[in-house]
Amino acid sequence: MATKGKVLIIDDDPDFVEVVRTALETDDFEVFSAADGSQGLALMRREKPDLVFLDVMMAHPTEGVDVSEAMREDPTLRDIRVVMITAITDTQYVGDFPTDRYLHVDQFLTKPVPLSELLELTNRLLKKK
Amino acid sequence: MADQFPLQAELIERIDWLISLRWLAVVGTLLTIVLVNFYLPGLLLQGPLLATTAAIALYNACFLLYAHRLRTQESAAIRLRQSTVFAYVQIALDLIALTTLLHFAGGIENPFALFFVFHMIIASILLSPTASFLAALLASSLFAVMALLEYRSLIPHYNLAGLVNPDLYRHGTYVLASILGMIITLFLVVYMTSSISARLRTRTGELLEVSRSHEAKSRELEELNAKLQKLDAARTRFMVTVTHELRAPVATIYSCLDLVLGGYASPEKERQILERAQQRTTELLDLVKDLLELTGARQAEVQAEEAEPIQLADVLHNVEELMRVEAENKDLFLSVDIAPDLPLVRARPEHMKAVWTNLLSNAIKYTEPGGIVVASLTHNPHYVVGVVRDTGIGIAAEDLPRIFEEFYRTANAKAVCPQGTGVGLAIVKRMIESYGGKVWVESELGRGSKFTFILPKAR
Repeated sequence: MATKGKVLIIDDDPDFVEVVRTALETDDFEVFSAADGSQGLALMRREKPDLVFLDVMMAHPTEGVDVSEAMREDPTLRDIRVVMITAITDTQYVGDFPTDRYLHVDQFLTKPVPLSELLELTNRLLKKK
Repeated sequence: MADQFPLQAELIERIDWLISLRWLAVVGTLLTIVLVNFYLPGLLLQGPLLATTAAIALYNACFLLYAHRLRTQESAAIRLRQSTVFAYVQIALDLIALTTLLHFAGGIENPFALFFVFHMIIASILLSPTASFLAALLASSLFAVMALLEYRSLIPHYNLAGLVNPDLYRHGTYVLASILGMIITLFLVVYMTSSISARLRTRTGELLEVSRSHEAKSRELEELNAKLQKLDAARTRFMVTVTHELRAPVATIYSCLDLVLGGYASPEKERQILERAQQRTTELLDLVKDLLELTGARQAEVQAEEAEPIQLADVLHNVEELMRVEAENKDLFLSVDIAPDLPLVRARPEHMKAVWTNLLSNAIKYTEPGGIVVASLTHNPHYVVGVVRDTGIGIAAEDLPRIFEEFYRTANAKAVCPQGTGVGLAIVKRMIESYGGKVWVESELGRGSKFTFILPKAR
Protein backbone atom coordinates (compact mmCIF):
# COMPACT_ATOMS: atom_id res chain seq x y z
CA MET A 1 0.00 0.00 0.00
CA ALA A 2 1.44 3.30 -0.97
CA THR A 3 1.68 5.66 1.96
CA LYS A 4 1.80 9.44 2.12
CA GLY A 5 5.28 9.31 3.64
CA LYS A 6 7.55 7.90 6.35
CA VAL A 7 7.44 9.45 9.81
CA LEU A 8 9.78 8.71 12.73
CA ILE A 9 8.78 9.48 16.33
CA ILE A 10 11.57 9.80 18.87
CA ASP A 11 10.09 9.99 22.37
CA ASP A 12 10.68 8.12 25.60
CA ASP A 13 6.97 8.02 26.49
CA PRO A 14 5.61 4.80 24.92
CA ASP A 15 2.00 5.89 25.35
CA PHE A 16 2.54 9.17 23.53
CA VAL A 17 4.34 7.26 20.74
CA GLU A 18 1.40 4.87 20.49
CA VAL A 19 -1.13 7.69 20.24
CA VAL A 20 0.79 9.55 17.53
CA ARG A 21 1.48 6.30 15.69
CA THR A 22 -2.23 5.41 15.67
CA ALA A 23 -3.26 8.84 14.45
CA LEU A 24 -0.64 8.94 11.69
CA GLU A 25 -1.25 5.37 10.55
CA THR A 26 -4.96 6.06 10.32
CA ASP A 27 -4.04 8.97 8.03
CA ASP A 28 -1.95 6.66 5.78
CA PHE A 29 1.55 7.46 6.97
CA GLU A 30 4.19 4.83 7.61
CA VAL A 31 5.36 5.20 11.21
CA PHE A 32 8.58 4.15 13.01
CA SER A 33 9.46 4.91 16.58
CA ALA A 34 12.52 5.11 18.81
CA ALA A 35 12.75 5.63 22.57
CA ASP A 36 16.03 7.55 22.59
CA GLY A 37 18.30 9.69 20.45
CA SER A 38 20.89 7.15 19.37
CA GLN A 39 18.24 4.55 18.49
CA GLY A 40 16.44 7.31 16.56
CA LEU A 41 19.55 8.25 14.54
CA ALA A 42 20.21 4.60 13.69
CA LEU A 43 16.62 4.16 12.50
CA MET A 44 16.85 7.40 10.47
CA ARG A 45 19.92 6.15 8.61
CA ARG A 46 18.20 2.85 7.81
CA GLU A 47 14.68 4.00 6.97
CA LYS A 48 15.32 7.53 5.64
CA PRO A 49 12.03 8.99 6.95
CA ASP A 50 10.57 12.17 5.45
CA LEU A 51 9.74 13.70 8.85
CA VAL A 52 10.93 13.27 12.43
CA PHE A 53 8.97 14.15 15.57
CA LEU A 54 11.62 14.78 18.17
CA ASP A 55 11.06 15.07 21.92
CA VAL A 56 13.49 17.60 23.36
CA MET A 57 13.81 16.20 26.84
CA MET A 58 14.45 12.51 27.19
CA ALA A 59 17.14 10.98 29.40
CA HIS A 60 19.13 14.22 29.02
CA PRO A 61 17.44 17.62 29.08
CA THR A 62 18.73 18.49 25.59
CA GLU A 63 18.85 15.07 23.97
CA GLY A 64 16.51 16.26 21.21
CA VAL A 65 18.76 19.24 20.44
CA ASP A 66 21.75 16.92 20.19
CA VAL A 67 19.88 14.69 17.74
CA SER A 68 18.95 17.64 15.53
CA GLU A 69 22.60 18.77 15.49
CA ALA A 70 23.75 15.28 14.54
CA MET A 71 21.22 15.36 11.67
CA ARG A 72 22.59 18.66 10.40
CA GLU A 73 26.14 17.29 10.44
CA ASP A 74 25.13 14.21 8.43
CA PRO A 75 24.55 15.00 4.70
CA THR A 76 22.29 11.97 4.33
CA LEU A 77 19.99 13.19 7.11
CA ARG A 78 20.13 16.92 6.43
CA ASP A 79 17.02 16.98 4.25
CA ILE A 80 14.74 15.24 6.72
CA ARG A 81 12.17 17.60 8.18
CA VAL A 82 12.15 17.96 11.96
CA VAL A 83 9.32 18.90 14.32
CA MET A 84 10.58 19.41 17.85
CA ILE A 85 8.19 18.67 20.68
CA THR A 86 8.64 20.45 24.00
CA ALA A 87 6.78 20.66 27.25
CA ILE A 88 6.25 24.09 28.78
CA THR A 89 8.09 22.99 31.91
CA ASP A 90 11.18 22.44 29.77
CA THR A 91 11.73 26.17 30.10
CA GLN A 92 13.85 25.40 33.16
CA TYR A 93 16.43 24.19 30.64
CA VAL A 94 15.94 27.13 28.34
CA GLY A 95 19.50 28.23 29.13
CA ASP A 96 20.79 24.98 27.67
CA PHE A 97 19.33 25.81 24.28
CA PRO A 98 22.01 26.80 21.79
CA THR A 99 20.46 30.14 20.84
CA ASP A 100 23.53 31.26 18.90
CA ARG A 101 23.48 28.26 16.57
CA TYR A 102 21.16 27.34 13.78
CA LEU A 103 18.84 24.54 14.85
CA HIS A 104 17.84 22.04 12.24
CA VAL A 105 14.15 22.31 13.12
CA ASP A 106 11.18 23.15 10.89
CA GLN A 107 8.59 23.63 13.61
CA PHE A 108 8.13 23.50 17.37
CA LEU A 109 5.11 21.91 19.06
CA THR A 110 4.19 21.98 22.72
CA LYS A 111 2.81 18.97 24.62
CA PRO A 112 0.00 18.12 24.82
CA VAL A 113 -0.14 18.30 21.03
CA PRO A 114 -3.66 18.44 19.58
CA LEU A 115 -3.73 15.58 17.04
CA SER A 116 -5.61 17.67 14.46
CA GLU A 117 -2.76 20.15 14.49
CA LEU A 118 -0.16 17.38 14.35
CA LEU A 119 -1.83 15.74 11.35
CA GLU A 120 -2.35 19.02 9.54
CA LEU A 121 1.32 19.89 10.05
CA THR A 122 2.50 16.48 8.88
CA ASN A 123 0.42 16.69 5.73
CA ARG A 124 1.60 20.22 4.99
CA LEU A 125 5.31 19.51 5.54
CA LEU A 126 5.28 16.33 3.47
CA LYS A 127 3.25 17.85 0.60
CA LYS A 128 5.83 20.58 0.12
CA LYS A 129 8.55 18.06 -0.60
CA MET B 1 45.70 39.73 73.85
CA ALA B 2 42.85 40.98 71.73
CA ASP B 3 43.64 44.70 71.78
CA GLN B 4 47.39 44.30 71.36
CA PHE B 5 47.46 45.43 67.77
CA PRO B 6 45.67 48.77 68.05
CA LEU B 7 47.72 49.58 71.18
CA GLN B 8 50.88 48.72 69.35
CA ALA B 9 49.90 50.88 66.39
CA GLU B 10 49.19 53.67 68.89
CA LEU B 11 52.58 53.26 70.57
CA ILE B 12 54.49 53.48 67.29
CA GLU B 13 52.46 56.51 66.26
CA ARG B 14 53.15 58.20 69.62
CA ILE B 15 56.87 57.47 69.30
CA ASP B 16 56.90 59.46 66.06
CA TRP B 17 55.07 62.24 67.85
CA LEU B 18 57.61 62.12 70.70
CA ILE B 19 60.50 62.45 68.25
CA SER B 20 58.86 65.47 66.58
CA LEU B 21 58.20 66.97 69.98
CA ARG B 22 61.87 66.51 70.86
CA TRP B 23 62.96 68.48 67.78
CA LEU B 24 60.72 71.28 69.04
CA ALA B 25 62.35 71.01 72.46
CA VAL B 26 65.81 71.24 70.88
CA VAL B 27 64.81 74.34 68.93
CA GLY B 28 63.08 75.81 72.01
CA THR B 29 66.14 75.23 74.22
CA LEU B 30 68.47 76.80 71.64
CA LEU B 31 66.18 79.82 71.29
CA THR B 32 65.97 80.19 75.07
CA ILE B 33 69.78 80.05 75.41
CA VAL B 34 70.23 82.62 72.63
CA LEU B 35 67.53 84.96 73.97
CA VAL B 36 68.73 84.76 77.59
CA ASN B 37 72.25 85.41 76.39
CA PHE B 38 71.01 88.41 74.43
CA TYR B 39 69.05 90.02 77.27
CA LEU B 40 71.02 88.78 80.26
CA PRO B 41 74.54 88.18 78.93
CA GLY B 42 76.72 86.03 81.19
CA LEU B 43 73.80 84.53 83.08
CA LEU B 44 74.05 81.12 81.45
CA LEU B 45 76.98 78.78 81.03
CA GLN B 46 76.62 78.46 77.27
CA GLY B 47 79.14 75.70 76.52
CA PRO B 48 77.71 72.79 78.55
CA LEU B 49 74.12 73.83 77.75
CA LEU B 50 74.76 73.89 73.98
CA ALA B 51 76.65 70.59 74.26
CA THR B 52 73.71 68.98 76.07
CA THR B 53 71.28 70.34 73.48
CA ALA B 54 73.50 68.97 70.72
CA ALA B 55 73.50 65.62 72.48
CA ILE B 56 69.70 65.67 72.54
CA ALA B 57 69.63 66.49 68.81
CA LEU B 58 72.10 63.69 68.14
CA TYR B 59 70.20 61.00 70.02
CA ASN B 60 66.95 62.19 68.51
CA ALA B 61 68.44 61.69 65.04
CA CYS B 62 69.40 58.17 66.10
CA PHE B 63 65.84 57.59 67.37
CA LEU B 64 64.46 58.75 64.06
CA LEU B 65 66.55 56.16 62.22
CA TYR B 66 65.64 53.46 64.71
CA ALA B 67 61.91 54.28 64.50
CA HIS B 68 62.19 53.86 60.75
CA ARG B 69 63.82 50.46 61.17
CA LEU B 70 61.21 49.42 63.71
CA ARG B 71 58.50 49.83 61.10
CA THR B 72 60.12 47.19 58.88
CA GLN B 73 60.07 44.61 61.67
CA GLU B 74 57.74 41.88 60.41
CA SER B 75 56.78 40.07 63.59
CA ALA B 76 54.09 42.07 65.39
CA ALA B 77 55.03 40.66 68.80
CA ILE B 78 58.71 41.55 68.42
CA ARG B 79 57.76 44.99 67.10
CA LEU B 80 55.63 45.62 70.17
CA ARG B 81 58.42 44.55 72.53
CA GLN B 82 61.03 46.65 70.73
CA SER B 83 58.72 49.68 70.65
CA THR B 84 58.12 49.42 74.38
CA VAL B 85 61.85 49.22 75.22
CA PHE B 86 62.45 52.07 72.78
CA ALA B 87 59.92 54.24 74.62
CA TYR B 88 61.58 53.46 77.99
CA VAL B 89 65.00 54.43 76.63
CA GLN B 90 63.70 57.70 75.16
CA ILE B 91 61.96 58.77 78.35
CA ALA B 92 64.96 57.87 80.54
CA LEU B 93 67.36 59.75 78.24
CA ASP B 94 65.05 62.77 78.17
CA LEU B 95 64.89 62.85 81.96
CA ILE B 96 68.69 62.69 82.19
CA ALA B 97 69.02 65.42 79.54
CA LEU B 98 66.54 67.66 81.34
CA THR B 99 68.36 67.15 84.65
CA THR B 100 71.68 67.95 82.96
CA LEU B 101 70.26 71.15 81.45
CA LEU B 102 68.83 72.15 84.82
CA HIS B 103 72.11 71.44 86.55
CA PHE B 104 74.03 73.74 84.20
CA ALA B 105 71.37 76.44 84.49
CA GLY B 106 71.02 76.96 88.22
CA GLY B 107 69.86 73.53 89.42
CA ILE B 108 67.14 73.81 91.99
CA GLU B 109 66.83 77.58 91.35
CA ASN B 110 65.64 77.05 87.80
CA PRO B 111 61.83 77.39 87.36
CA PHE B 112 62.05 75.17 84.27
CA ALA B 113 62.29 72.22 86.67
CA LEU B 114 58.52 72.16 86.12
CA PHE B 115 59.26 70.63 82.70
CA PHE B 116 59.49 67.28 84.48
CA VAL B 117 55.70 67.40 84.55
CA PHE B 118 55.53 67.26 80.74
CA HIS B 119 57.74 64.20 80.74
CA MET B 120 55.49 62.49 83.25
CA ILE B 121 52.43 63.20 81.11
CA ILE B 122 54.17 61.79 78.06
CA ALA B 123 55.27 58.70 80.00
CA SER B 124 51.75 58.13 81.33
CA ILE B 125 50.31 58.33 77.83
CA LEU B 126 52.87 56.03 76.27
CA LEU B 127 53.61 53.47 78.95
CA SER B 128 51.81 51.19 81.37
CA PRO B 129 50.95 52.70 84.79
CA THR B 130 53.80 50.74 86.43
CA ALA B 131 56.34 51.99 83.89
CA SER B 132 54.99 55.54 84.34
CA PHE B 133 55.48 55.39 88.11
CA LEU B 134 59.01 54.09 87.50
CA ALA B 135 59.56 57.11 85.26
CA ALA B 136 58.28 59.36 88.09
CA LEU B 137 60.66 57.61 90.47
CA LEU B 138 63.58 58.14 88.08
CA ALA B 139 62.70 61.81 87.56
CA SER B 140 62.33 62.42 91.30
CA SER B 141 65.59 60.64 92.01
CA LEU B 142 67.49 62.58 89.34
CA PHE B 143 66.12 65.86 90.64
CA ALA B 144 66.77 64.95 94.28
CA VAL B 145 70.29 63.64 93.60
CA MET B 146 71.16 66.78 91.62
CA ALA B 147 69.81 69.05 94.34
CA LEU B 148 71.45 67.10 97.16
CA LEU B 149 74.83 66.79 95.40
CA GLU B 150 74.82 70.54 94.77
CA TYR B 151 73.67 71.18 98.32
CA ARG B 152 76.55 69.03 99.63
CA SER B 153 78.91 70.74 97.09
CA LEU B 154 79.85 67.34 95.71
CA ILE B 155 79.21 68.81 92.25
CA PRO B 156 79.50 72.46 91.31
CA HIS B 157 76.49 74.76 91.48
CA TYR B 158 75.95 77.26 88.68
CA ASN B 159 74.05 80.19 90.16
CA LEU B 160 71.69 82.20 87.97
CA ALA B 161 73.56 85.30 89.05
CA GLY B 162 71.41 88.33 89.74
CA LEU B 163 68.13 86.42 89.45
CA VAL B 164 68.13 84.21 92.47
CA ASN B 165 69.65 84.41 95.91
CA PRO B 166 73.04 82.66 95.38
CA ASP B 167 72.72 80.77 98.66
CA LEU B 168 69.30 79.34 98.03
CA TYR B 169 70.69 75.93 96.93
CA ARG B 170 72.40 75.63 100.31
CA HIS B 171 69.17 76.35 102.18
CA GLY B 172 68.32 72.89 103.61
CA THR B 173 64.60 73.46 104.19
CA TYR B 174 64.14 75.00 100.73
CA VAL B 175 65.99 72.12 99.07
CA LEU B 176 63.97 69.56 100.99
CA ALA B 177 60.70 71.36 100.25
CA SER B 178 61.57 71.61 96.54
CA ILE B 179 62.44 67.92 96.35
CA LEU B 180 59.28 66.92 98.22
CA GLY B 181 57.14 69.25 96.15
CA MET B 182 58.66 67.79 92.99
CA ILE B 183 58.12 64.20 94.10
CA ILE B 184 54.49 64.78 95.09
CA THR B 185 53.76 66.73 91.90
CA LEU B 186 55.33 64.11 89.64
CA PHE B 187 53.59 61.13 91.27
CA LEU B 188 50.21 62.89 91.32
CA VAL B 189 50.57 63.84 87.65
CA VAL B 190 51.44 60.26 86.75
CA TYR B 191 48.57 58.94 88.83
CA MET B 192 46.00 61.27 87.25
CA THR B 193 47.20 60.96 83.67
CA SER B 194 47.58 57.19 83.90
CA SER B 195 44.05 56.70 85.18
CA ILE B 196 42.66 58.92 82.42
CA SER B 197 44.63 57.19 79.70
CA ALA B 198 43.79 53.73 81.16
CA ARG B 199 40.11 54.58 80.97
CA LEU B 200 40.55 55.80 77.39
CA ARG B 201 42.30 52.55 76.54
CA THR B 202 39.48 50.51 78.05
CA ARG B 203 36.95 52.50 76.05
CA THR B 204 38.92 51.95 72.86
CA GLY B 205 39.08 48.25 73.67
CA GLU B 206 35.33 48.12 74.29
CA LEU B 207 34.59 49.96 71.06
CA LEU B 208 36.83 47.55 69.22
CA GLU B 209 35.06 44.61 70.85
CA VAL B 210 31.67 46.00 69.85
CA SER B 211 32.70 46.58 66.25
CA ARG B 212 34.19 43.09 66.13
CA SER B 213 31.04 41.48 67.46
CA HIS B 214 29.02 43.50 64.94
CA GLU B 215 31.22 42.20 62.17
CA ALA B 216 30.79 38.65 63.42
CA LYS B 217 27.03 39.11 63.59
CA SER B 218 26.77 40.53 60.12
CA ARG B 219 28.88 37.65 58.82
CA GLU B 220 26.54 35.24 60.58
CA LEU B 221 23.54 36.94 58.99
CA GLU B 222 25.16 36.75 55.58
CA GLU B 223 25.75 33.03 56.02
CA LEU B 224 22.19 32.52 57.14
CA ASN B 225 20.95 34.47 54.16
CA ALA B 226 23.05 32.39 51.78
CA LYS B 227 21.65 29.23 53.38
CA LEU B 228 18.10 30.50 52.96
CA GLN B 229 18.74 31.40 49.35
CA LYS B 230 20.10 27.90 48.72
CA LEU B 231 17.04 26.43 50.38
CA ASP B 232 14.79 28.62 48.30
CA ALA B 233 16.59 27.60 45.11
CA ALA B 234 16.25 23.94 46.10
CA ARG B 235 12.53 24.42 46.72
CA THR B 236 12.07 26.11 43.33
CA ARG B 237 13.95 23.28 41.63
CA PHE B 238 11.75 20.82 43.44
CA MET B 239 8.60 22.64 42.34
CA VAL B 240 9.77 22.66 38.71
CA THR B 241 10.52 18.95 38.86
CA VAL B 242 7.17 18.17 40.47
CA THR B 243 5.36 20.19 37.83
CA HIS B 244 7.19 18.34 35.09
CA GLU B 245 6.47 14.96 36.67
CA LEU B 246 2.78 15.84 36.96
CA ARG B 247 2.52 17.35 33.51
CA ALA B 248 3.99 14.45 31.54
CA PRO B 249 1.22 11.92 32.36
CA VAL B 250 -1.52 14.56 32.03
CA ALA B 251 -0.27 15.50 28.55
CA THR B 252 -0.23 11.86 27.50
CA ILE B 253 -3.72 11.22 28.92
CA TYR B 254 -4.91 14.27 27.00
CA SER B 255 -3.44 12.89 23.77
CA CYS B 256 -5.06 9.49 24.37
CA LEU B 257 -8.46 11.11 24.84
CA ASP B 258 -7.87 13.38 21.85
CA LEU B 259 -7.17 10.32 19.70
CA VAL B 260 -10.38 8.59 20.76
CA LEU B 261 -12.65 11.65 20.71
CA GLY B 262 -11.22 12.85 17.38
CA GLY B 263 -12.06 9.48 15.81
CA TYR B 264 -8.48 8.85 14.66
CA ALA B 265 -8.49 5.21 15.80
CA SER B 266 -10.39 2.04 15.02
CA PRO B 267 -12.85 0.83 17.73
CA GLU B 268 -10.54 -1.99 18.95
CA LYS B 269 -7.60 0.42 19.00
CA GLU B 270 -9.73 2.92 20.93
CA ARG B 271 -10.19 0.46 23.81
CA GLN B 272 -6.45 -0.20 23.96
CA ILE B 273 -5.68 3.52 24.04
CA LEU B 274 -8.27 4.14 26.76
CA GLU B 275 -6.68 1.37 28.84
CA ARG B 276 -3.34 3.12 28.49
CA ALA B 277 -4.96 6.38 29.58
CA GLN B 278 -6.45 4.63 32.59
CA GLN B 279 -3.06 3.15 33.49
CA ARG B 280 -1.47 6.60 33.29
CA THR B 281 -4.24 8.02 35.47
CA THR B 282 -3.49 5.37 38.10
CA GLU B 283 0.17 6.35 37.97
CA LEU B 284 -0.76 9.97 38.31
CA LEU B 285 -2.83 9.17 41.40
CA ASP B 286 0.14 7.24 42.83
CA LEU B 287 2.36 10.21 42.21
CA VAL B 288 -0.07 12.57 43.91
CA LYS B 289 -0.28 10.19 46.87
CA ASP B 290 3.53 10.03 47.07
CA LEU B 291 3.82 13.79 46.81
CA LEU B 292 1.37 14.18 49.67
CA GLU B 293 3.39 11.71 51.67
CA LEU B 294 6.58 13.59 50.84
CA THR B 295 4.97 16.81 52.05
CA GLY B 296 4.01 14.92 55.20
CA ALA B 297 7.64 13.85 55.53
CA ARG B 298 8.69 17.47 55.24
CA GLN B 299 6.31 18.33 58.05
CA ALA B 300 7.40 15.35 60.15
CA GLU B 301 10.35 17.33 61.38
CA VAL B 302 7.99 19.87 62.90
CA GLN B 303 5.94 17.14 64.58
CA ALA B 304 8.93 15.06 65.68
CA GLU B 305 9.10 16.70 69.11
CA GLU B 306 5.57 15.82 70.16
CA ALA B 307 5.60 12.25 68.81
CA GLU B 308 4.58 9.53 71.27
CA PRO B 309 6.78 6.46 71.85
CA ILE B 310 5.59 3.60 69.63
CA GLN B 311 6.49 -0.03 69.03
CA LEU B 312 7.99 -0.41 65.54
CA ALA B 313 7.24 -4.14 65.62
CA ASP B 314 3.47 -3.43 65.65
CA VAL B 315 3.81 -1.15 62.63
CA LEU B 316 5.86 -3.78 60.80
CA HIS B 317 3.25 -6.49 61.55
CA ASN B 318 0.50 -4.31 60.07
CA VAL B 319 2.47 -3.60 56.92
CA GLU B 320 3.51 -7.24 56.66
CA GLU B 321 -0.12 -8.35 56.20
CA LEU B 322 -0.54 -6.07 53.16
CA MET B 323 2.84 -6.98 51.70
CA ARG B 324 2.36 -10.73 52.11
CA VAL B 325 -0.37 -10.68 49.43
CA GLU B 326 1.89 -8.84 46.99
CA ALA B 327 4.80 -11.15 47.71
CA GLU B 328 2.69 -14.29 47.25
CA ASN B 329 1.28 -12.95 43.99
CA LYS B 330 4.84 -12.67 42.74
CA ASP B 331 5.90 -16.01 44.22
CA LEU B 332 8.38 -14.40 46.61
CA PHE B 333 9.35 -15.66 50.04
CA LEU B 334 8.71 -12.88 52.60
CA SER B 335 10.15 -13.31 56.08
CA VAL B 336 9.77 -10.97 59.05
CA ASP B 337 12.20 -11.30 61.92
CA ILE B 338 11.67 -9.28 65.12
CA ALA B 339 13.97 -9.40 68.14
CA PRO B 340 12.24 -9.85 71.55
CA ASP B 341 11.95 -6.94 74.04
CA LEU B 342 12.32 -4.31 71.36
CA PRO B 343 12.51 -0.80 72.88
CA LEU B 344 10.09 1.93 71.76
CA VAL B 345 10.97 4.79 69.41
CA ARG B 346 9.50 8.30 69.31
CA ALA B 347 7.70 8.68 65.95
CA ARG B 348 4.26 8.94 64.42
CA PRO B 349 2.91 5.51 63.42
CA GLU B 350 1.70 6.68 59.97
CA HIS B 351 5.21 7.89 59.15
CA MET B 352 6.74 4.60 60.20
CA LYS B 353 4.12 2.76 58.18
CA ALA B 354 5.23 4.77 55.13
CA VAL B 355 8.85 3.79 55.81
CA TRP B 356 8.11 0.04 55.98
CA THR B 357 5.67 0.16 53.07
CA ASN B 358 8.09 1.93 50.77
CA LEU B 359 11.08 -0.25 51.66
CA LEU B 360 9.11 -3.52 51.43
CA SER B 361 7.18 -2.68 48.25
CA ASN B 362 10.46 -1.66 46.58
CA ALA B 363 12.06 -4.94 47.65
CA ILE B 364 9.09 -6.90 46.26
CA LYS B 365 8.91 -4.84 43.05
CA TYR B 366 12.60 -5.27 42.19
CA THR B 367 13.00 -8.95 43.12
CA GLU B 368 12.39 -11.69 40.54
CA PRO B 369 9.86 -14.46 41.33
CA GLY B 370 11.39 -17.13 43.52
CA GLY B 371 13.50 -14.56 45.37
CA ILE B 372 13.58 -13.74 49.05
CA VAL B 373 12.65 -10.54 50.95
CA VAL B 374 13.54 -10.30 54.64
CA ALA B 375 12.50 -7.53 57.05
CA SER B 376 14.10 -7.51 60.49
CA LEU B 377 14.06 -5.39 63.64
CA THR B 378 16.81 -5.51 66.27
CA HIS B 379 18.34 -3.02 68.70
CA ASN B 380 21.70 -1.92 70.06
CA PRO B 381 22.47 0.26 73.12
CA HIS B 382 21.25 3.48 71.51
CA TYR B 383 19.16 2.63 68.47
CA VAL B 384 16.43 0.42 67.12
CA VAL B 385 17.69 -1.04 63.84
CA GLY B 386 15.41 -1.89 60.92
CA VAL B 387 16.63 -3.83 57.88
CA VAL B 388 14.98 -4.79 54.58
CA ARG B 389 17.00 -7.19 52.47
CA ASP B 390 16.21 -8.72 49.10
CA THR B 391 17.75 -10.96 46.47
CA GLY B 392 16.62 -8.58 43.71
CA ILE B 393 18.19 -6.74 40.79
CA GLY B 394 20.43 -4.60 43.02
CA ILE B 395 21.73 -1.07 42.44
CA ALA B 396 24.78 -0.09 40.38
CA ALA B 397 27.61 1.51 42.37
CA GLU B 398 27.28 4.80 40.45
CA ASP B 399 23.56 5.02 41.33
CA LEU B 400 24.04 4.45 45.06
CA PRO B 401 24.83 8.10 46.00
CA ARG B 402 21.67 9.35 44.24
CA ILE B 403 19.25 6.62 45.20
CA PHE B 404 17.56 8.68 47.97
CA GLU B 405 17.07 11.76 45.72
CA GLU B 406 13.54 12.83 44.89
CA PHE B 407 12.36 11.51 41.46
CA TYR B 408 15.63 9.68 40.89
CA ARG B 409 15.12 6.27 39.28
CA THR B 410 17.94 4.05 38.07
CA ALA B 411 17.95 2.86 34.47
CA ASN B 412 17.86 -0.64 35.91
CA ALA B 413 14.70 0.07 37.88
CA LYS B 414 13.00 1.71 34.88
CA ALA B 415 13.78 -1.36 32.76
CA VAL B 416 12.22 -3.73 35.30
CA CYS B 417 9.26 -1.52 36.14
CA PRO B 418 8.51 1.47 33.88
CA GLN B 419 5.96 2.83 36.34
CA GLY B 420 7.30 4.40 39.48
CA THR B 421 7.53 7.87 40.89
CA GLY B 422 11.07 7.79 42.26
CA VAL B 423 9.79 9.43 45.44
CA GLY B 424 9.54 6.43 47.81
CA LEU B 425 13.12 6.39 49.07
CA ALA B 426 13.15 10.18 49.41
CA ILE B 427 10.11 9.82 51.70
CA VAL B 428 11.88 7.11 53.73
CA LYS B 429 15.01 9.23 54.16
CA ARG B 430 13.09 12.34 55.19
CA MET B 431 10.92 10.52 57.69
CA ILE B 432 13.81 8.65 59.31
CA GLU B 433 15.97 11.78 59.52
CA SER B 434 13.07 13.81 60.95
CA TYR B 435 13.11 11.55 63.98
CA GLY B 436 16.88 11.78 64.44
CA GLY B 437 17.65 8.56 62.61
CA LYS B 438 19.74 7.52 59.61
CA VAL B 439 19.12 5.33 56.60
CA TRP B 440 21.62 3.80 54.19
CA VAL B 441 21.87 1.17 51.50
CA GLU B 442 24.32 -1.55 50.58
CA SER B 443 23.84 -3.24 47.23
CA GLU B 444 25.44 -5.18 44.47
CA LEU B 445 24.07 -5.23 40.94
CA GLY B 446 22.32 -8.53 40.28
CA ARG B 447 22.81 -9.83 43.84
CA GLY B 448 20.31 -7.81 45.87
CA SER B 449 20.03 -4.81 48.17
CA LYS B 450 20.05 -4.19 51.90
CA PHE B 451 18.44 -1.05 53.33
CA THR B 452 19.20 -0.31 56.98
CA PHE B 453 17.72 2.42 59.15
CA ILE B 454 18.33 3.33 62.77
CA LEU B 455 16.08 5.36 65.08
CA PRO B 456 17.03 6.56 68.57
CA LYS B 457 15.37 4.66 71.45
CA ALA B 458 12.67 6.63 73.26
CA ARG B 459 13.82 7.66 76.74
